[in-house]
Amino acid sequence: MTGADRYGHWAARLPCGRAVDDLMAQVTDGGAPVEGEHQRRCAHCTAAMAELEALWQPVRALAAERVRAPSEVLQGVMARVRELMEPGWYAVVSEPEGKTRIAARVLGAYARLAAEEVSGVTLAIGGGRTGESTSAAEIAGDPGEAASNVGVAGAHVVVDVDVVVQMGVSISAVGREVQERIADRIAAYTGLTTHQVRVTVVDVVRGHTEGPVAEDGAAGQA
Amino acid sequence: MPTSPSEFSGREAAPSSAPAAIPEAVLLRRARAGEEAAFEALVRAHQDRAYLTALRLTGNRQDAQDSVQEAFLQAWRSLPRFRGDSSFSTWLTRIVINRCLNLSRSARALPAELDDGVMGQEPGADDLAVGAQRQDAVREAVLGLPFDQRAALVLHTFAGHTHAEVGHILGISETAAKVRVHRARRALFAGLQEWR
Repeated sequence: MTGADRYGHWAARLPCGRAVDDLMAQVTDGGAPVEGEHQRRCAHCTAAMAELEALWQPVRALAAERVRAPSEVLQGVMARVRELMEPGWYAVVSEPEGKTRIAARVLGAYARLAAEEVSGVTLAIGGGRTGESTSAAEIAGDPGEAASNVGVAGAHVVVDVDVVVQMGVSISAVGREVQERIADRIAAYTGLTTHQVRVTVVDVVRGHTEGPVAEDGAAGQA
Repeated sequence: MPTSPSEFSGREAAPSSAPAAIPEAVLLRRARAGEEAAFEALVRAHQDRAYLTALRLTGNRQDAQDSVQEAFLQAWRSLPRFRGDSSFSTWLTRIVINRCLNLSRSARALPAELDDGVMGQEPGADDLAVGAQRQDAVREAVLGLPFDQRAALVLHTFAGHTHAEVGHILGISETAAKVRVHRARRALFAGLQEWR
């Protein structure tokens, strides 16, 4: 006797009086039996538990299956997002041969990569938008405001970057280095003038120990 | 070099031993401002769970992919209006479920097509094949549940949400979510018993 008829319909109670729902909850949630002593000795409970466990095992296996989104999801979403973004978020580099437009998000990518080059910075993020104004304040707004990211107008750039730093580093020194590195990289790669760099430290994490590693695996000391 | 004094602040800094990541609140603020890279980070962080939910709800990889992509795009368009009353995850999951529900309604007249399983792949050892068949039976039994029960079951049993989270996502109380999950499991037991 398993508690289920030949059509798969489970009775509310087993012949011993135990509620089948209790046993189901025990199997699905992995909880301890409510009436442990009875359950250990009862043939109805033992048979029903064995049946329910066997039925639930493939559910458990399916739930444990690692599912990852196919790469097309991210690619497809971001391609559409780029299409939907407002046009005109470009910096302009004027040269005798003509003008080159550089999307603000490209500058954001340069800024992020430059910031992450700095020792003590583990992650950085900054993006892009622009406007007609040549005023850095008008383009980027105040720190923390929605409009403050990477502002570009003509050949002038304002960068607002958030960084995560390793614990123990000098935040002010890292901040200054991030500012200089971003300005240098943007000038070198795009020819644009970085008007202002705003750095916000948004998190601090325990960093890894750098330095030579001895042959026994311990970190070397100076 | 900057041509004017650059600003520097640590106003959102907080010591953390968690793996390095830009806090979600920062990503949301930047994404709301139209920053593509911040939204991309949000997509990366949430796409697997969203896809898992859609896959178990639809039983079909292409439908799951389409539902998740549309859900993220709807989230991108609606971000300026997202007030943060619930977490981004809850909000996104709700959109995914609505997309899957719409798909389920529009496809009701069509025969169910299950392509989430491993049937039809290169057969392995017998026990592996039996195991795969049993998992396919689970997928079919899940798809046979009414949508409200299926959603509760998928969120709790497959996507790992608590009853409280399931209730929040589905807009019902925690108790109602528990009842819905339990009914779904009972129906699933019956469905799997028939398969045996």
